[in-house]
Amino acid sequence: MSSRAAGLDPRTWLAWAVAASLPALAGRNPLPLLAVLLAVLGVRAAWSEAAPRDAAWRPVVRLAVLFAFLATLFNALTVRAGTTVLFTLPSWLPIIGGPVTLNAVIYGVISGGALLTLVLVGAHVAAVVDWPAALRLLPDRLLTVAVAGSIAIAFAPQTVVAYREIREAQMARGYRPRGARDVAPLLVPLLHGGLERAITLAEALESRAFGAPVAVAAGWQSGRGVITAVVLAVGLAAGYLLAVGQVAVAAVAMLVVVAAFLWVMRPERTLARRSRYRPPRLRRSDVVALAGAGIAGMATLTALLTDPAALRYEPYPRLTVPAINLWLLLAQAGLLAPAFLVEPAGEREERGRR
Amino acid sequence: MTTLRGVPLAAELREVRFRYPRQTEPVLRGVDWLIPEGAFVLVAGPSGSGKSTLLRCLNGLVPHFSGGVFGGSAIVHGLDTRHYGPRALSRTVGFVFQEPEAQLVTTRVEDELAFGMEQLGIPPALMRKRVEEVLDLLGIAALRHREVATLSGGERQRVAVAAALTLQPRLLVLDEPTSQLDPWGAEDVLTALTRLNDDLGLTIVLAEHRLERVLGFADRLRLVRADAETVEGDPREIMAVCDPSMAPPVVRLGRALAWEPLPLTVKEGRRLALASTAPRMPGPDSPSAGGPPVVELRGVSAGYGARIVLRDITLEVRPGELVALMGRNGSGKTTLLRSIIGFHRPASGSITVAGRDIASLDPADIARDVGYLPQRPASLLFAERVRDELAFTLRHRRRTRFDPDALLEDLGLTALADRHPRDLSAGEQERVALAAVLAGAPPVLLLDEPTRGMDALRKAALGQLLRRLRDEGTAVLMATHDVELVAGLATRVVLLGEGEIIADGPPREVLAGSLTFATQVNKLYGDGFLTVEDVLAGLNDGTVSSSGGAREVEAGEPAVGGAAP
Repeated sequence: MSSRAAGLDPRTWLAWAVAASLPALAGRNPLPLLAVLLAVLGVRAAWSEAAPRDAAWRPVVRLAVLFAFLATLFNALTVRAGTTVLFTLPSWLPIIGGPVTLNAVIYGVISGGALLTLVLVGAHVAAVVDWPAALRLLPDRLLTVAVAGSIAIAFAPQTVVAYREIREAQMARGYRPRGARDVAPLLVPLLHGGLERAITLAEALESRAFGAPVAVAAGWQSGRGVITAVVLAVGLAAGYLLAVGQVAVAAVAMLVVVAAFLWVMRPERTLARRSRYRPPRLRRSDVVALAGAGIAGMATLTALLTDPAALRYEPYPRLTVPAINLWLLLAQAGLLAPAFLVEPAGEREERGRR
Repeated sequence: MTTLRGVPLAAELREVRFRYPRQTEPVLRGVDWLIPEGAFVLVAGPSGSGKSTLLRCLNGLVPHFSGGVFGGSAIVHGLDTRHYGPRALSRTVGFVFQEPEAQLVTTRVEDELAFGMEQLGIPPALMRKRVEEVLDLLGIAALRHREVATLSGGERQRVAVAAALTLQPRLLVLDEPTSQLDPWGAEDVLTALTRLNDDLGLTIVLAEHRLERVLGFADRLRLVRADAETVEGDPREIMAVCDPSMAPPVVRLGRALAWEPLPLTVKEGRRLALASTAPRMPGPDSPSAGGPPVVELRGVSAGYGARIVLRDITLEVRPGELVALMGRNGSGKTTLLRSIIGFHRPASGSITVAGRDIASLDPADIARDVGYLPQRPASLLFAERVRDELAFTLRHRRRTRFDPDALLEDLGLTALADRHPRDLSAGEQERVALAAVLAGAPPVLLLDEPTRGMDALRKAALGQLLRRLRDEGTAVLMATHDVELVAGLATRVVLLGEGEIIADGPPREVLAGSLTFATQVNKLYGDGFLTVEDVLAGLNDGTVSSSGGAREVEAGEPAVGGAAP
């Protein structure tokens, strides 16, 4: 299944991800964080069946839960600030000896929650987005990058399968990898097999006209190469100038680099283009989800400019009640929109048949 | 325009010579090859004989992609491949590769079909029309929205053919497209190709090992013989004189009985068989080996998550038995083998190997008594030298009295003993993997599709080795689709269907009369006839003699069955 089959465009998911990540990136106020977390969990639950790669990302989510717990523990045991002391660890204990405060525990929990929210957002988008479709949104000039990315995505599961086969085949001969030294026997056949697959794939690409010359204006190909080389050189020079403190000159150089890059990448009428079988199109469900994400995102940005306390929170030195911005909290409900846009399996299949 | 007997040529190769980079020996030496338009050309021969290289000359992958030294000329529909590379030739020549997994470049079927057209800037409206056409032509319209990863091997190959066809090539080249497929997947692909050739007049060049599948469709056969000599022409004429080990059973039988015209298909053979003397029924299979079982499964059920793959399997394998596991893809054959080696833990039931319950053993422990050859044998290899591969297994199996040199010699690997396994050819790597598995003579041998992609000669050699192991008392359990191999080798056949054992008995009992698993000979004669040898023995006991693998009626004897109309 793909996001197209499930009804949402990659651009919609990317916008949703940005909007859902903003509160966690902007501050540590637990209320908007909690609102976003609930919305994300709701969307994940609604899409659990329609997300083909959800299972693959579960280990990442489990790892994030572990890190969130460790972040809480680390903060609680190493930060001495705060007035509400829960208990005191003996001072002879290195690093962790001293008072353990409720303030540090709460800040740890909030930070862990923020981390978990960001990972959940990323894992969900990774699981539902049709990445090849997303890559196809890149401009024509980046077509080769898009195809390479698309192939990498198709290649990854095959590599995982190959890894499993090799590990099992070698275990069947009594081989037990015990340390870093034993990685080579695993890597050699994996790389060898990967290389063989890559060569076949390259042959298949060549045989199917990948990179075939389209009607390009005479001299443009070599001209673009020269311009790209100059742009890179100016970019390096800008980096050097920045490093030696020449900020103003570096900024000008960077502007030149960006302008030249945009010019090289511009769609030009004189150049023949490769065609697209299915031009990307936003559907009604995308508009609804984008509107939800837009409301949430705009509310967060507005709060950041007009009421920063609604997004930020410091439990030190004294525990206080976090600031409440009701509009901000209500707006985060917009992130729930995708949860109501999952097509039932039957409808999806029917649309697929149509 | 150059023609062959009045038919315009799709391709014309003259004096083609080719040597790969960093190689001293050329792969192609002065090849002349004329391919008439609309022909269905079959290319056959041993692995490593240069078939793939030759095919790659037709779309310019050789030399443009491969590098190397190229001589002579290859003109395809008027385009000289020395000046036009594979990209430029993609509109003229479609190419389908062997591995279904490795040649698809996108994740969804419809995108895959459009890929080549997008590269050539074909307008979207025309792309849609062509996609619809090839979907219908190949009968894959139901797959159009499917993710490529969810397709079976046969479906993937049909998608690969469809993707090549969207560019509307005039010549379609396929390099062993069915070698990795089960018989049903192969049938799907070949049926599609026949339609393309018959209905559209598309010129098809197909390399294939299993000639019994395609011989009936081909107009011309280009056969590379074991001595590297090439013959080309009418398939019937070539089959009449080729090395019998390369010929399908129906052809071998036709040659042995001097049938005229020589049958290439079961349909042709049936007519001749009906008109000839009926052979005496073969005797029953010899009783299966006795002794206590070395592998024992009791009520084994296993699956992946909620999906049950094996249901209540009870099976015993004794020393000296060669048990063929057969059944559709997904029927549970591989899971059964993986359960015995310990990679897959059953949800219920018990498995005993060499007297040990394996429930608490890890695969490395089980491997002391079990040799396991997976579908991709090369994945087994990790040592620096061929010799070290065997030494590793021997150390693990704690066999000190085993002579690895004898095994290397048996498998024709003595000269390669100090080579790096990864430097060897695919066929040689397979033999090294087999040697690594057999080192220490494990009492149980598990083989998963050992003849997949194997040519006739290598298959015959493998058959000989397995026969010897079986006779020496090794218990062999082999998952396979190869009915001809099973008929000549197995002592027992276990047929799996949806994870259950639906038949278990001697090959004659299980295979004979089966709609799906009957051998070519059984399709001709029915009853208990499975092999060419069964028929010959039944026709003329004691009067037939073997001649280089083919049987010929001795001088002075009446030509039994030879009076065919």
